[in-house]
This record gives sequence, structure tokens and C-alpha cells, in this order.
Amino acid sequence: MNPATTGTTAPAPARPLAQTIAGFLLRHIMVVVMLLIVAFFMYRSARFGTPDNLVTILVAAAPFALIALGQTLVILTGGIDLSVGSVIAVSAMAAAWSAKNVSENPAVPPVAALGAGLAAGVVNGLVVSRLNVPPFITTLGMLTLASGLAYVIGNGAPINGLPASYGTFANTQFLGLKIPVLLMIVAILVFAFVMRSTSYGLRIYAIGGNRLAAEIAGVRSRNVLFSVYALSGLLAGISGLMLSSRVITGAPNLGQGYELDAIAAVVIGGASLMGGRGTVWGTAIGLLLIQTINNGLDILLVPSYWQSVIKGVIIVAAVGVDVWAARRGR
Amino acid sequence: MPTALIENAAETAMLMCSGIHMSFGGVPVLKGIDLSLEPGTVTALAGENGAGKSTLMKIASGQYRPDSGSVEVRGAHLPAGDTRAAASLGVAIVPQELASIPELTVYENLFVGVEKRTPFGTLDRRGMVREAKSRLAGFGLDTDPTVRMGSLPVGIRQIIEIVKATSRGARVLLLDEPTSAIAEREVARLIDVVRSLRDQGVAVMFTTHKMEEIRAMADRVIVLRDGSLVSDTALADITDDGIVTAMIGRELDNLFPDLPPAGDQVVLEVEGLVAMRGADPIDFSVRRGEILGLAGLVGAGRTELLECIYGVRKPVSGRVKVNGRVIKPGDPLASIASHLAIVPEDRKGAGAVLSLSVLDNAILPRIGAFSRWGVLARRGKQGKVQEVMRSMRLKSNGLGQTLEHLSGGNQQKVVLGRWLTGRVDALLLDEPTRGVDVGARNEIYRIVTELSAAGMAVVMASSDMPEILSLSHRAFVLRGFSVAGELSREQLADPGVQDVIFRLASGQDASAQAQEAQP
Repeated sequence: MNPATTGTTAPAPARPLAQTIAGFLLRHIMVVVMLLIVAFFMYRSARFGTPDNLVTILVAAAPFALIALGQTLVILTGGIDLSVGSVIAVSAMAAAWSAKNVSENPAVPPVAALGAGLAAGVVNGLVVSRLNVPPFITTLGMLTLASGLAYVIGNGAPINGLPASYGTFANTQFLGLKIPVLLMIVAILVFAFVMRSTSYGLRIYAIGGNRLAAEIAGVRSRNVLFSVYALSGLLAGISGLMLSSRVITGAPNLGQGYELDAIAAVVIGGASLMGGRGTVWGTAIGLLLIQTINNGLDILLVPSYWQSVIKGVIIVAAVGVDVWAARRGR
Repeated sequence: MPTALIENAAETAMLMCSGIHMSFGGVPVLKGIDLSLEPGTVTALAGENGAGKSTLMKIASGQYRPDSGSVEVRGAHLPAGDTRAAASLGVAIVPQELASIPELTVYENLFVGVEKRTPFGTLDRRGMVREAKSRLAGFGLDTDPTVRMGSLPVGIRQIIEIVKATSRGARVLLLDEPTSAIAEREVARLIDVVRSLRDQGVAVMFTTHKMEEIRAMADRVIVLRDGSLVSDTALADITDDGIVTAMIGRELDNLFPDLPPAGDQVVLEVEGLVAMRGADPIDFSVRRGEILGLAGLVGAGRTELLECIYGVRKPVSGRVKVNGRVIKPGDPLASIASHLAIVPEDRKGAGAVLSLSVLDNAILPRIGAFSRWGVLARRGKQGKVQEVMRSMRLKSNGLGQTLEHLSGGNQQKVVLGRWLTGRVDALLLDEPTRGVDVGARNEIYRIVTELSAAGMAVVMASSDMPEILSLSHRAFVLRGFSVAGELSREQLADPGVQDVIFRLASGQDASAQAQEAQP
């Protein structure tokens, strides 16, 4: 950032070009892994590299992106949010239920979904920040609770027969892209800015790096912790709206297991589960990596159970490579 | 003389260290130590904080691998960095932080790893209890071996740790600050245990800060100063003053800058502050440019007092005023707004966020001044940080470097310097030079003196006696979260003051000394 040293340390010796390139590749190892995977799929299938397929990947990525961004903030504080998958379900059911029972007004389902997601996040945030219950336990409880509520809302069944206007949100094109994809791009840019350039972002990094030191420096850590869980819930609400709007149905099993993919995306992006380390761009790469693998394996007609096996191996291998590169790159 | 001693001892030595060099992060901690321990002797290892005592103990017990030099146990080479080998050679260490498992019982602690088994391969609990009982009795302990370790006082646990080590065949026993955390009554017991071990032919070496324990336990005193062995004599041949002089050396004269006179205007007022239920209320005020020292033993409540003043913890009662205005208790943000700053004792745990850069650590407590509408103005405002860090002579690769790659002394400069981009009227320092090498220590003293000269009111808690003596205008000795005595600048300059402070801090002749010490 600033070439001037504050002390008497000698400037770093000039390094040969090959070493500089190697250092660069090691520092961006996930991009390298991503390119290798893309190259593999393009080699195996002509359909993979088409613009249409790129759109397919982005559309599939959008709901994941939102919860992964929320998860990034939570993990940066040293916490975890296991409930986002279930919050997606309960938000989707709330939206579908409101569309059917409250009003046909297209503004109602979004309000219901966002309200449900925010409510779940607020409860998580209060329990974690005020009652000091460990985030793992709190959000595990919310996972179970919200999943149950999703079934309660639909009396154990999906809510079908929704008005066509219900699909507007997910299926409208704008500037040549569907709204969820646009939302994803905007959200990534906004969150990258927030985490890099605002005092809120710095406070999140500080709390995750050392909560006591942050408090002594005047950070009100309870308020910040509360806010990240609330935000994570709200984003899961939007994600639930996207998913149910896309298929114009409210299904109580929507979003099941998404929290694990979101956590995987954050970790692949180089974040530490201990908090304080990680970036929004890293999460974006991790997210695209997972979505690309999902899509590529679908195209290659790999059976879904095998997809799961392969994905598991790739997630651990990717983080293993990242740890290796971090050690080598130093 | 030490060399001659070692040559004579070569055949009989239980433990022999030769040419031990060790450095951490480029800072030399031990600079060529030679020493040997003979059977049936007790050696005191004395030295200031940071002199290298604990490091030497850890090398002698095989925990650390020295950069160069070797350790031999009864002529056999002690493989460096191999604690199991050390144990099998008969070297045991009882560390400062207890290594016992509080959730297990006493006998389980004694036998963990070398459990007795029945012929069926299950645990022979009855046999272990019986043997534990007789081993404890051998050291004069009538503790029930079936009670939970955690329910016992620290001193008893410490003795049980010693029993554990010796019952596994330890012939060389290293005790790191064995009395730092235990009560008076238990110290006497520990002294008995050490003496009986000596009579059994065990070679014991211990570290301590307390002169009377050296007198009570040791046959021989070794003094370390800044990583070198500066004195090695029989206890009978050295006076207490001789030991202190060896520990501190001549540096005391030039390590500390001259103290400028304090001002008159009161900045910080503490009124009726009770940090822990049952303690006496504490009242004092600190003026512009004044440095108030807080001395006392570990657990005397110095850290807690500073934390109550700053608002990291809520006091039981009492209030704090800065410039005549009461600050909201238990709220660091309010303290910062009142121009109060703290440099905590636990630098890594409470002082700095090691994963953040120098710049971000500096921004954190002054986040309002570095942002507009919540957006950080890193680039625009970093000149000020640059200026402060340069005046502190921080050695780093620019402000973007993360703190985890800086040395302890440089981390401490950041933890102190980050406050100085804004206004600070009262500064609370808790062990400002703990874990900081001598060079950086000197610079920190210079900075603190300059800040006080510029009008800051400073409260400094320290276990480092020279620091209290040379760097404060006035000092309190704390004991049990209460003020046990107050010493003026003149009293601090008195040669016998260390002894007065020791007595006040440990509570011996407390009433008489306190009266004598009151102005």
C-alpha cells in the first residue's frame, strides 16, 4: 500500500521473474484451480463452454451467493451460521403462504420472505450476542426449528397453485440478465466494498481476529455480532424468495443442505473458521468453483450420488492446496 | 570460575548445560550458558523478567531445542526438543502454568500414562489409590487421592505435580516460579518438600523473584542477566544486595531516562473504586505529567484495577473522572471519548489484533477520525499513523504489514502508538515491557517519559521492580485488590525500598510497614 518503510528495514531484494510469477500463482492458487477445472470440463464437453451454460451457472449460483456472503461475515467474526438452509425454506414457505392467503399483490411475498429471514437472523443474533450461547449451538437449534416451521406453514406439503406474478422476481430479465444474477453481482460488489473500505468491515475483522482487543479499542462487539447474524438471516430470506419464485412453488425442503455448500465456498475462498481471515472475493471464487463443478458434472451425466462424492473430495483437496500454497508462498 | 566448577563436576553432574545459545525472532535470549547441577543440591536461578530463566529451564528439560550448545544428563546426551527422552533420562519440569488435569482425581493425575492394570487389562484403581496414598504420605501430604485435582489449592497441586515427577524416577527437578501463585502456608510446605528431595539426592533447580525463598531453599545461586550467566556462587558467599546488583547490573543507571517533574493540574481521579467484592475502596488522583506506579504480586489486582478504570470490566462500586468529568463505567468507547487510553498486559490476548495490519490496528481505536459516513479514509489519513510510528521508531515493512510478523517490542510500540494519533490525557499501562527485549524496553521508557513530559497522566502497573523505582513519581503497592502502601519519589529512591515493597506486597508486617511508608 505504501512503499515507504516506517523503520530501518532494508528494501526487499529484487526477485527473478520466475520466482515472482510463482509467487503470484501461489497467492492466487484458487483461481488457478478454478481455471484447471474449467479447462477440464471444456475439454470433456463442447456444451460446457457456451454462453448459455455460463448463464445457467450464474442463475444457479445466485441464491448460493447471497447466503455465502452472509456466511462470510459470520465466519469472519469467528462464528458460523448453520441455519441458513432452513431459513431459506421457512422464508420460501412464508412467501408462498402469503401469496395464497394474504393478497395477490406482488409486493407481499417479498415482504413475507424477507421478514421471515430477518426474524430468524435477529433471533440468532440476540441469542449469540446477548445470551452468549455458542453460534454453532444457536444456529443448529435454528436449523431444526426453522425446518420444522417450514413444514408447519404448509401443513407438511408444498404450496402450489400460486399466481403467475409470483415468478416475476426470479424470471424477469433486466439488462440481459435475470434479476437474481444482477442481485448477486451487485451484492458481491457491495460486500467487497463494505469489508474492505468501511469501518463496519474493519470492526468485523477485528472482532474475529481478537474480540477482547477489539472491545478495548472501543468496538461494541455485541452490536456487530448481532448485525452479522441478522444480515445472514435477511440474505437467506432473499435467497428463499429467489428459489421459490423461480419454480413458483413453496417447498418445505427448499434450501436443504445449502448451508454446507455456503460454508464450503467461504472456506475454499481462504477464510479461517477461527475468524479474522478471509475475503469476499475469496468467497466469490469458492462459490463459482462449487457451482462450476455441479454444472460440469451434470453435463457429463455423472450420477448425483457420485457427484456428491467427487464434490467432497474436491472441497477438501482445494483447501489442502490452499494451505500448501499459503505455506509455500510465504 | 564457572568453567573450573564444571570441569570438576563433569563426572558427578546430574545435568550439564554447555554453550547454550537461543534466540527468538532474531532476539538473542540466551548467549552461551554453561552450568551443571550436582545430586543433592538445590540451585536458585535468579534474574529479572526477560533475563532468560524460563527459556533456560525449558531447554534444560528438553522442551526447547537450543540454537547451539548441548544438555547432558549423567553423561548421556539429552536429545533436544524431545520431552519423552527427557523423562526417561530422569529430568522433569514443573511449569509455571500447572500441567495437572483438573477434571481427573489426584491418583489419576499421578498415574496417567503409566496406569496400573489388573491381570485382565482393566484399570487397577484400588492399587493406584493405595500407592498414591503412600507416595503422598511420603511427602507429608494427607490429601485423599480420590478427590478431584481441581478442588485442591494451587500449592497442593504443585506439590502433587512434584510427587508425580519424582515418583516416575526424576533425578533432576526443575521448578519454574513454584511459589508465584500459592499462599504463604503452602510455600513452607513446598520448602519442606524441596529439602527432602535434596536429601534423597535429587538435583533441584528453581526460579523465583523472592529473596527469602532463595535464602530458605537454595545452596547455590545462579544469576542471569540479558541472557548471560553473570554470577554463580554458593548461597553463603553472596549477600541479598549482591544478588540484586547482579540481576540488575549497571544498566539501571542508563536504562531509564530522567524523569521530568509532574504538573499540578489533576487529570485522572479514581474515587472509592472497588474492583473485587470485599476489597477496600481505592482513591487516588494523577496529575498532568505524573507517572503513578502500581506494584504488587501476581493476583494483587493491578490488572483488574486498570481494567475497572478503563471500563473493560465493571467495578463493584466507585467512579472514575477524567478532567473532572465522570466517565460511564464498563464502556471502553466512553473512556476513549474521554481521552483515556490503555495498553493491556496481555498484548496478544487483549492489546492488538495480530491478524490485522499496523495501519488497521492504528485505525481501530480512532475509527471515527479515520472514516466518513462509515467509509474508511485509509489512504488520506495514514500520514498521521506514519508520523506516530516513525516517532516510536517502529521497525516494520510499512504500515500494511500484519502484526503477527513483528517482534514483541514492535507489537508493543503499535499497541501504544495507535492511541497517539488522537488526544490522550490519561494513559494506563499494564506491564508495558513484558516480553520485550532490553533495547526496545529502553525505547518504551523513553516514549513513556516523553508522553508524561508532554502532559499525559500515566498509571503504570509493573512487576519489574526497577521500572517502578525509576519510572514513577509515586507508587502504590497493591495486595488483595486494596492499597497496602504508598511510596513517594524520595522513598522510591531509598536503597531499602525493594524490601519495603516486598513486605507490603506479601503482607508481612503489613500494618507496621504501611504506617512507616505513609508520608
